[in-house]
Amino acid sequence: MNYDIHYCTSYKYESPVTDNLNALRVRPATTSNQRCDEFHVRLDPEARIHRHVDYFGTEVMEFGVARAHDHMTIDVRARVVTSEPPEAPEAPWEHLDGETYAEAAGEFLLRADDEPDDVVLADLLDIARARTPLATVRWLNELIPDRFAYRPGVTYVGSTIEDLLKAGAGVCQDFVHLGLVLLRRNGIAARYVSGYLFSAPEDGGTDSVEVQTHAWLEALLPGTGGRGEPIWVGADPTNRRLAGETHVKIGHGRRYGDVPPIKGVYRGTARAELEASVHMTRLDPAASARA
Amino acid sequence: MVTDATTAYRPQPGYFDEVFAPDGTPHPHAVSLAAEIAKLGPELLTAAGHRRDAIFVQQGITFDATGEEGPVKDRPFPLDLVPRILPAREWDHIERGLMQRIRALNRFIDDVYHEREIVRAGIVPWRLIVSRSHFARAAHGVRPPGGVYCHVAGCDLVRDADGSWKVLEDNVRTPSGISYVLENRVAMTRLVPQFFQHHRVRPVDHYPQLLLAGLRSVAPSAEDEATVVVWTPGPMNSAYFEHAFLARQMGVELVEASDLVVRDDVLYMRTTAGLRRVHAVYRRLDDDFVDPLEFRPDSLLGVPGLVRAYRAGTVAIANALGTGVADDKAVYHYVPEMIRFYLGEEPILDNVRTYLMADEQQRETALARRHELVFKPTGESGGKGVFIGPSTSKEALDGLADVIRAQPEKWIAQEVVNLSTVPTAMPDGSLAPRHVDLRPFAVFGETIRIVPGGLTRVALTEGSMIVNSSRGGGSKDTWVLEEDTGADVPREGDTQLHEVMPTNMPGLRYGSEWTGQQQQQQQRRAEVGRQDPRGIGRP
Amino acid sequence: MLSRIAQELFWLGRNVARAEHTARMLDGVFQASLQGRPDDPAGVRLGWGSILAIMGSQTDGRPVRRDEVLNRMTLTREEPASVISCVSRAREGARTVRDVISAEMWEAVNTTHLALSAGDLEGRMQMGPYSVFQYVKERSALFWGLTSRTMLRDEARAFLVAGGRIESADMVLRMLRVAMPAPGEHAEGTDGVRDGQALALLQAVGGFQAFRRAVPAPPNAGPVARFLLYERAYPDSVAASVDAVHGALFDADEVPRSSEPVLRLSRLAADLEFRGRAAAEDGNLAEASSLVQSELALIDADIAERYFAGAGAATGTVVA
Repeated sequence: MNYDIHYCTSYKYESPVTDNLNALRVRPATTSNQRCDEFHVRLDPEARIHRHVDYFGTEVMEFGVARAHDHMTIDVRARVVTSEPPEAPEAPWEHLDGETYAEAAGEFLLRADDEPDDVVLADLLDIARARTPLATVRWLNELIPDRFAYRPGVTYVGSTIEDLLKAGAGVCQDFVHLGLVLLRRNGIAARYVSGYLFSAPEDGGTDSVEVQTHAWLEALLPGTGGRGEPIWVGADPTNRRLAGETHVKIGHGRRYGDVPPIKGVYRGTARAELEASVHMTRLDPAASARA
Repeated sequence: MVTDATTAYRPQPGYFDEVFAPDGTPHPHAVSLAAEIAKLGPELLTAAGHRRDAIFVQQGITFDATGEEGPVKDRPFPLDLVPRILPAREWDHIERGLMQRIRALNRFIDDVYHEREIVRAGIVPWRLIVSRSHFARAAHGVRPPGGVYCHVAGCDLVRDADGSWKVLEDNVRTPSGISYVLENRVAMTRLVPQFFQHHRVRPVDHYPQLLLAGLRSVAPSAEDEATVVVWTPGPMNSAYFEHAFLARQMGVELVEASDLVVRDDVLYMRTTAGLRRVHAVYRRLDDDFVDPLEFRPDSLLGVPGLVRAYRAGTVAIANALGTGVADDKAVYHYVPEMIRFYLGEEPILDNVRTYLMADEQQRETALARRHELVFKPTGESGGKGVFIGPSTSKEALDGLADVIRAQPEKWIAQEVVNLSTVPTAMPDGSLAPRHVDLRPFAVFGETIRIVPGGLTRVALTEGSMIVNSSRGGGSKDTWVLEEDTGADVPREGDTQLHEVMPTNMPGLRYGSEWTGQQQQQQQRRAEVGRQDPRGIGRP
Repeated sequence: MLSRIAQELFWLGRNVARAEHTARMLDGVFQASLQGRPDDPAGVRLGWGSILAIMGSQTDGRPVRRDEVLNRMTLTREEPASVISCVSRAREGARTVRDVISAEMWEAVNTTHLALSAGDLEGRMQMGPYSVFQYVKERSALFWGLTSRTMLRDEARAFLVAGGRIESADMVLRMLRVAMPAPGEHAEGTDGVRDGQALALLQAVGGFQAFRRAVPAPPNAGPVARFLLYERAYPDSVAASVDAVHGALFDADEVPRSSEPVLRLSRLAADLEFRGRAAAEDGNLAEASSLVQSELALIDADIAERYFAGAGAATGTVVA
């Protein structure tokens, strides 16, 4: 599908601030199912943008405004083509063993220092495992939203899994963090994905839709053949489904902290008021029949 | 006049003593030193110790520790006045071994953030590397100027019962202690100059120059003299004394994060004359606190944008970002393999026998022997979290085994090393054997330079092997001799060096004859019996 | 004021300054001499022979023994250049001008003399001369501190200060010239040796940290010599001392504009300023040191001529 994405963030500061430095990870990635054709960033106040690709392969744009200013607008526009990912492989658990899988899994199997231990997760771990790795992914897509309510404002960007467990509710980011841990504890490599999600209006209209930046996960599923290459399969526990052509990926990492859309600091005591909006417009309504 | 201070000394059986052979006679290179200590005698040695404490307190060379009755503040740094003495050939071996090791570590760090050849060759598992707490993803693909990462290294060495040297750990993040090496030497020349009489001891006070030259050599600067700064976390840091010491000795600014700012991709410091470009930063804090945009998002301690400037190559950071990956006890295990892989050489200095807990077989064998081994968390330093099997209760060790099995990649086990001993002064001035280790300091700029000796830490409690100053350890001046024995040294410091007399040097002037006479007359008038003003103004 | 009193004050200043400089120099050389030949040229030291050269004493060709030089230059009353002789002369001078200087200044000098004369000084030297040198340095600092806090800023003080500063300039020039002879003047004077002497020199003068803060270059011969000669911001540089002597005499003189020593001093100050900007290589520096030293000797003579009624003009030079 073809999308036009318009991601606009603007900060208003109560009093002028200086040395406002930011790192953006907002550019849609180019993958086997997705291609980013156009991409522009406009800044107000203007600043020179430095680009580099980070360790996880995400393009990072950095800029700084040194002089005093009382607002900052980051206006991102992108045009993306996506296609439906291939069928997810349904291989047995045993295919997780072996060097090929371990090598592809790399660090996405590793436990992080701030993860809750098995005891805390016990009742979830007891039921998280299904018949096959793919079935487990699908099952978690149901289990997590069943157990936890989607409720913005309960958690914040720095919240841990334990915060989610305690609150019983959270947002997509928290759901993904929990999903990652449950998959990794079962030996399935999994990574955090940051991106945009096109949610078609209920009436099936094709107009511009107000959405949000979104998070889902990718699980590394072993191939079905004897030595089949394992592949990364997207799953969106917030929306109870595997990722498809409505998911526009920016990048991945071990966790949210590796791919935050905007990260910044400024000098000054002023508080900032934030307004952010993402508009996605589908440009090929004719293709919607396939969706 | 030889007193029982040294004649009564007997090394402990089972340990290597660096001054005395088991029969109580000194090793050949230490004969003169032992004689001078005996000549001084216990009383004067104790008296010199009191003077030392007074000088250290006056100069603020103190530390805070945790004593039995709670924390103690402003204690004089415990320098033992009996030096540790190493003959030239011994040092030569250590120096070559360390240079080799540091070259290999540097290659490893570069490899880890670029080609990963050692991983592809199947020598070090990638999972092990990425699970190191100091593996820095922000350093991926960034090659610092000159390809140097560990500009400053301080490897800890120990000496086993057979006298052989072994590396205990590689400190390549922010090793501290060099200021004590320099201050100890100054104090020794002031307090017990006679000990130096019969030896030619290699000086250590050029370290700040080596460091400054090393930092300048990697600084990306078109100008003649690059601006170098020392970055300290602040006066509350336990090593602040050293940060200030190094800045003062190098004549560079001691900065905190708030003094630094990145504009575009260049680092500046804020001065009264406006922003001033900085070319090289000797930072004394971990990666995590360097740049809140790249590392800990919850920390606002660092300099936002510094990593961008670093990536752009406009500033050198020492040690380079990501160097900590080599400062890890599980990576340590592979250093001998690195030396073979990168340099094609056999290691000159051995490791202490180490077992990786991530390896199931090694783990279970080691845990079965847990009362005999030492267990260390991989990412810590300074003796933090270490369990010494023989002196840990069974319950604690059983608990430890559970902890290790839960996160095996975070632990290693090592054989216990019977640290060598050096005679050490007791409060009454007598000598007793105490265990020591050694931390030499290397600077890697254009080449690797190592200051002769290093920081010798000594466990002041009988039988103890814990040398950390925060836990009751002291230190010793470490002498590297110009020679292998004390035999070929000129007596009594005779020298004929540089007897230079420039031409036309006028003689010293004194007050005139006239003045002298006046004084004598006055004196005669004033009183009788005053001291004769000899030598006044006579040609 | 009386010429005699002016001269006493002038020499009181010189003797206090000389005692301090000698102590600093001996301490610096002693500490460096305890350690072996370094593997860095930057660490080479001033030798014991150099000290005798600096102080105008010469040897009879025998090897110079450290302890001999130390004792001779610190404790020996028969050696006019020794620390104790300087202090003795300062004390006698201070006694003469007791009514002019403050009581606290007199006590400071007198106590120093008594402490150095009494007690087991040789024993202390044996245990480590550091404490003796440290004492002399501290007492000197006390004396000058008391001078600036308690003495009337009059003509008397001007002569005292002028004496102290001209002595500082002379001592620094002596050390400079010995540590860094002109190229070709001495066969052993390779660059490395001379660089090392530069560092030892800085340490002997006590200016290492000041150098580090003021000069970005490594402490090699050239930068160190330039610093010690020309750096006005460093109080013990020759230029700063010359300025101070000039300032003091300018204040003390009734008609400074027709005073030969004041005029000479202002010409020398300007010359140092000019050379400081132009100085490039150390060959010139050795030559400059030599010239400045000769000029200072002339100024010294002019001072005696103008203020001390010619009493000290041609006599009193000791060449041992």
